[in-house]
Amino acid sequence: MKTLIIENIDLKKIGELMTVSRLFCDTPDIIALGDGEIPGSFGRAWQSAATVSANLVVPITQLIQQEGYEVILMSVSTLGTGLAGPLSAALSAPVITEVTAIHPDMVVDRPVYGGKAIIKYKIESTPSLLTIRRKYFEPEALAGTTPSVPLETGDEKVTLVSEKIEQTEGIPLEDAAVIVSGGRGMGDPENFALLQEMADLLNGAVGASRGAVDEGWASPTRQIGQTGKIVAPDVYFAVGISGASQHLAGIANSKCVVGINKDEEANIFNRARFGIVSDYKKIVPLLTQAIREDR
Amino acid sequence: MHIAVLAKVVPDYEVPSMDFELSNGRAHERFSRMMGLYDENAIETGIQLKDKTGSSLTLISYGLDSDVQFLRKGVAMGADKLVLVKGTSDDAAVIAQNIKQAVEHLGDVDLILAGQQSADMDRGVVPGILAQMLGAAFVPQVGYIESAADQWKVSQMTATGRRELEFNGLGVLSITSIPENVPRIPAVRAIFGAKKKPVVKLDGIDQGKMALAEISVEIPKIESVCEFIDAEDPNEAVKTLLSRLTEERYI
Amino acid sequence: MARIPYWNISYGVIIDLLAIPVFLIFVYGLYLQWQLIKKGQLRVIPSITKVFQGIGTFRPGAFFMRGILNPKIYRKPASGVAHGCVFWGMALLFVGTNLVILNILFGLPVFTGAFNRWFMSFTLDLAGLLVLGGIVFFLLRRQFMPDRLKIPEARTGFVLVSSLLGVLIITGFVIEGARLCANTPEAGAFVGNFLAASVISQTSALQIHTMTWWVHGLLALFFVAYIPFSPLVHIILAPVNSGFADPSPGVKMGVMDFSAFDDEDAEELPALGADKLADFTRKRFLDFASCLWCGRCQEACPAHNTQKPLSPKGVIVTLAQKLAAGEMEDSVMETLSMEAIFNCTTCAACMEVCPVSINQPKTIMRFRQNLVMEQGQMPELMGKAITSLEQRSHPFFGTGSGAAEWRKDLEVPKFEAGKTEYLLWIGCSITYEQRAWTIGRAMVNILKSAHVSFGILEDSRCTGDPAKQMGNEFLFAEIAQQNIDDFSALGIQKIITMCPHCYNSFTRHYPKMGGQYEVIPHASFIRTLVDDKKLQLDRNAQTITYHDPCYLGRRNGVYDDPRNVIASVGNLVEMPRNKNESFCCGGGGGNYWAEETGTRINQARAGEALGTDADAIAVACPFCLLMLTDGVKKYTEEIKAFDIAEIVEKCLPDMAEG
Ligand SMILES: Cc1cc2nc3c(=O)[nH]c(=O)nc-3n(C[C@H](O)[C@H](O)[C@H](O)COP(=O)(O)OP(=O)(O)OC[C@H]3O[C@@H](n4cnc5c(N)ncnc54)[C@H](O)[C@@H]3O)c2cc1C
Repeated sequence: MKTLIIENIDLKKIGELMTVSRLFCDTPDIIALGDGEIPGSFGRAWQSAATVSANLVVPITQLIQQEGYEVILMSVSTLGTGLAGPLSAALSAPVITEVTAIHPDMVVDRPVYGGKAIIKYKIESTPSLLTIRRKYFEPEALAGTTPSVPLETGDEKVTLVSEKIEQTEGIPLEDAAVIVSGGRGMGDPENFALLQEMADLLNGAVGASRGAVDEGWASPTRQIGQTGKIVAPDVYFAVGISGASQHLAGIANSKCVVGINKDEEANIFNRARFGIVSDYKKIVPLLTQAIREDR
Repeated sequence: MHIAVLAKVVPDYEVPSMDFELSNGRAHERFSRMMGLYDENAIETGIQLKDKTGSSLTLISYGLDSDVQFLRKGVAMGADKLVLVKGTSDDAAVIAQNIKQAVEHLGDVDLILAGQQSADMDRGVVPGILAQMLGAAFVPQVGYIESAADQWKVSQMTATGRRELEFNGLGVLSITSIPENVPRIPAVRAIFGAKKKPVVKLDGIDQGKMALAEISVEIPKIESVCEFIDAEDPNEAVKTLLSRLTEERYI
Repeated sequence: MARIPYWNISYGVIIDLLAIPVFLIFVYGLYLQWQLIKKGQLRVIPSITKVFQGIGTFRPGAFFMRGILNPKIYRKPASGVAHGCVFWGMALLFVGTNLVILNILFGLPVFTGAFNRWFMSFTLDLAGLLVLGGIVFFLLRRQFMPDRLKIPEARTGFVLVSSLLGVLIITGFVIEGARLCANTPEAGAFVGNFLAASVISQTSALQIHTMTWWVHGLLALFFVAYIPFSPLVHIILAPVNSGFADPSPGVKMGVMDFSAFDDEDAEELPALGADKLADFTRKRFLDFASCLWCGRCQEACPAHNTQKPLSPKGVIVTLAQKLAAGEMEDSVMETLSMEAIFNCTTCAACMEVCPVSINQPKTIMRFRQNLVMEQGQMPELMGKAITSLEQRSHPFFGTGSGAAEWRKDLEVPKFEAGKTEYLLWIGCSITYEQRAWTIGRAMVNILKSAHVSFGILEDSRCTGDPAKQMGNEFLFAEIAQQNIDDFSALGIQKIITMCPHCYNSFTRHYPKMGGQYEVIPHASFIRTLVDDKKLQLDRNAQTITYHDPCYLGRRNGVYDDPRNVIASVGNLVEMPRNKNESFCCGGGGGNYWAEETGTRINQARAGEALGTDADAIAVACPFCLLMLTDGVKKYTEEIKAFDIAEIVEKCLPDMAEG
């Protein structure tokens, strides 16, 4: 099928979409947005410096119609979200956002109800639009670059006045895909550095139980739970945390909880998917090392 | 000025995974119904804008007659009236079509706000479709809005930072949550007042479906039993853990 | 020789005549107080007594017991005894003075024989000494004030009245001494005789007597006239305030009727709660006027004790100052912070210790009601809890528990209309807080073991208490009405509660909305089962301390039943603060959904409980259990806190589940 990727110039994102595109075609085409060379090798490539989705709807619609694309892939991002709806309406095309799996015969999965259920759709016409959820497809290593022709964008509907890239201190707990949390079992504040090291390697954030906050080892803004932050990471490491219900209230929607606790009776194991009964001091440094080696 | 905010009544979005249940491919009807959280953020943003600009604010929803009782909260928060388009479709294009009808019914809408995504289908696509249908600009993930001399200045909260955007004319903005738009809790007087505010009900249309067939809805199996990893040899234990985590696609 | 009235005094009758205007000034002073209090709102419920309509029902018994005898004042022994000395000493002297007047007017023979010796001389001398002793204590204490008096502010005016009274007593003694010096010593008048013999000189006695007599008389008149304008007016206001006080223990917020808001033609609708002085009732005005700023409330307050902004004294003092300045319309929230208002755990320890029967929590709650219901303002977490309660009928936002998880694999009968006797009311915490699940499970096993006919409701519910505690009477009324309607449909008459908050709602508030039930807290129910030999328990040697939940103890007077239950399974040891002096777990007043500043209340209480060295800490409230379970972790990894039902369950001989 004739496949088009629309994406900002970003190795990981384009890599993931490339992986997805292989399910539909041999070599996809791309509309790459932003400055710089287009990584990877594509059939054809268009490029524009404009990244505000509202200004791209008209030219992209025209291009899709002209070229007769059947599958259009975007990732779940400001750009993809900004384009998916308008393109769907402009092309009278079916759109599925936040796709997490693709099966044969144009059957795709996407989560609903906050991930508590998965819905399967069969796409029954072309063209169709998909936005792909991040981290569900292994990014393909992109080799080489593809020369591009400019995408004519015409009139601006929306003007970009300024853009500020915020170097936030770490990832906010609410958005983190991995959280490494420490509790009263950490024993002393210094050991939180171990958790930070591990979290950094996993691109995650460090959280804490109220036990640890109470002891003054972690700032109250790190507290997770009923009276702290409510988080929903893919993996939640609970280190030296007993798993009081008020703490669990904050992680109810975590996908996978890993409990590291020396007490096998600790309540955290009732919630955990994986558990290691041991002194964390034996485990965490080794785990960090193993992760480092894994990279 | 006239601001419209879209809101959808959904089943309790905080039901813990363990307790989640489906009936007929949708969340079980035993769960309480309520407005989506992002919708409430959008309403809050709308009300702040209304108060700043002296506009009027209408809540638009597509759903059931029985949703009105939950939408009243939005009115109590500060909307002036409520337009409900009656229908049961889950198709994003149909929903957008119906909302478009409500917007046209109102006639003089200057700005449309919606939550970033509904709290049931989690799609975030309806506002974009609606914008295209109305020929309006669509800006997703908006945090702050200002109106300045027939221009809208909005801040888009992206994954990496913040963009300041400007546009003229009708726009559809999907609103994300920021510290400033934590939904207010209506005062009792406002709750009673909301009961007296007008509710317009329109009959929905059920056409223009997308070419999608829903095949199944399933609850993913979550292992509720903890898999203990032997810690006899810590080196082995961490390796096992990492490989299990990768196998199950958690990292 | 008998005493002669006006001995050595000419024109003494002037004093008697002056007493008439003085009395009028006194009455006028009280009238001014009433004018101030009258500015308060009328109570919604019409009272019985016409004159005091709008303050409430006057109970002479309480006036006398709580106001005059006032056992509470003696909880602080030193200042209690000082008060007793001054009050009862002055009472005796007052009687003495009146007897003198009767003697003058009707020749009542009081100055003769044993009566003169033992009462008019000895007793009155002794009374004078007691008063003087008390006054010396008061004056010294004003010099070296304890924190409770100083913080946030001390009431002024005490030194003047105390000194005045002291001078009166001293001049009284001097008159007596001079009289006896000029005449002969009198049997029984030991102070007078002493002064006559060793202080006053024979030569100047007559002169001293005349001068002091006049000074004493005029000062006494001034003193009486000054009472209503000084803090001493509390001798009137305190008993009156006690007479009007709500006789039931704890705070009773009543239920609010919101029908006027639905009424199309309702005119101006009343403010919900209070934002300014003018929003309070006359009874509260009387509270504010009666307050002596003694700070006993703040000493008992769990919030104040753990360095939070709230001081119940501070709240009342602020209002008392507004009242004195006549600032009826200024918003008080500028002075009191929202944080302070929501710090209150509604534990009622303050009103329990208040010697003048002030209802501090009610005043605090009125502010809270206004913030929540009129302004939609509350701390974020409480807002979340209220929103959750409104949306999903329970306040445990973010809970990981499903509605039926607590009774997984446990067979629990459902309440069947006409068949089941008792409704076992589960409530929100037992359903949605994992640590509390076992309370419900234990109670089910206990009831089964005792073959009680009981059942639970199909769905899990809340009484609405958290909303009420957080000031949202509206939400409470909605939830309560729904429950009452459903209970009627099911024909529920008897309810067993495991949560004192539910118990309190059912017994205090539901009846006013038409829901009359026989409600029994689980501790009491278990006790009856034990007493009736329906439960066989294995007693062992464990020591158990018991934490009184505020909503069971102070608010509802249930102290003995849980203690009896504990005594039937182990050995009870008491904490220093127990029964009505129990220290809150910190979870009341919606503060279960709060992040505290300062020391954590639950840690303070857990420390106290662990200090008893008991094997277990028993509670009879799921919120207390959750708070103390957490608090104990500060000190030990051991799990120490248990609900009374859990403890009893472990002592059932055949502890077979299901
Ligand atoms: C109203 C209320 C609200 C609350 N809100 C929150 C909240 O928002 N968030 C929150 O987290 N808590 C909250 N709590 C507190 C909660 O009840 C628990 O007390 C708290 O979560 C306990 O923290 P913890 O697990 O770190 O400590 P603990 O319960 O003391 O657990 C420490 C654990 O560490 C283990 N351990 C010790 N040493 C080691 C070691 N060397 N290696 C491995 N494991 C070790 C122990 O076995 C134990 O299981 C709240 C409590 C209340 C009452």
